[in-house]
Amino acid sequence: MIPSDHFTRFYNEVFKFLEKQGEEDLENYWLEISKNQEKHTLKLFKEKGLAGMYEYWDHIRIEENCDLDLKLEPNKLELKMNVCPSLSKVQDNDAEPMKRYCDHCAGWIGPIIDKVGYHLVYDVIDRKKPQCVLKIFKDKEESLKEEKNAKLLMGWPGKEL
Amino acid sequence: MNNTLSEKTLRYNDKGNVHMDFHGATNTTIEFIIKKYGVNIMNDIFKKVGNNVYADIKKHIQSGNIEMLAKHWKHFFDREGADYSISIEKDEIILTVKRCTAYEHVKKLVGAVSPNFCDQTIKTNEAIAEGTPYEITTEILGEASCKQIIRKRL
Repeated sequence: MIPSDHFTRFYNEVFKFLEKQGEEDLENYWLEISKNQEKHTLKLFKEKGLAGMYEYWDHIRIEENCDLDLKLEPNKLELKMNVCPSLSKVQDNDAEPMKRYCDHCAGWIGPIIDKVGYHLVYDVIDRKKPQCVLKIFKDKEESLKEEKNAKLLMGWPGKEL
Repeated sequence: MNNTLSEKTLRYNDKGNVHMDFHGATNTTIEFIIKKYGVNIMNDIFKKVGNNVYADIKKHIQSGNIEMLAKHWKHFFDREGADYSISIEKDEIILTVKRCTAYEHVKKLVGAVSPNFCDQTIKTNEAIAEGTPYEITTEILGEASCKQIIRKRL
């Protein structure tokens, strides 16, 4: 068994293989992971909207030992990841980290947020630092305005930058 | 039987909560990679995990210290609440997993577990031992149950 604690280091090896195959291969994998994650999120997000998203990431905050702040507003959810355990483990690793490791997160979250009709702005800030800011808006115009403030804006399958 | 382990620290010594849903993502990954690229590619990735991610355990085994593998097994099977027993001797460790909670969790999540799910154990174990005086064999005893043995190569 690869322990669940070590999943991200396994994930990192999968990303390195797929990156060598090409961008489309990597994106197809993110979409597969996204489909897998729908089991945990889609019903909740559809039924409860931003409050459901808050519920999901609050659960993740505890279960994945994340140092993150969540702020729920009537028209926006903001997730500020202070220390990402996923990238932290990949960097604390005897195997080499994939340089674009952070991209997978928007890669699976983006398609789900699109599917439920909300608007994601994903700022990775710096791929070498285990921190990021994710904002989900009800209103598309608000999200487009926010994109301009991002330091390192992420796209995903279905949203090319 | 001697189940006392030395105080040497594991390279990856995780604490805190356990996110069992990652096993579901492992199952999805195994199915995706095998369907698109074939089982040999999947096994190559597990080999990289064994050789590179677990380079520290490999180094210990290479130098004759197989205790570190027992420590690794105990630490993570305890964290995941598996039902197992372990017998530790100087040159042989036998881990018997009576109930693998990773397998059971995936079954609960998706119903049908990939027939290649346990390859993560078999192939990663083989790679950890590759090039060392020891071999690690993994025998599947039934659903969610296996026996993993590290012993000196003949």
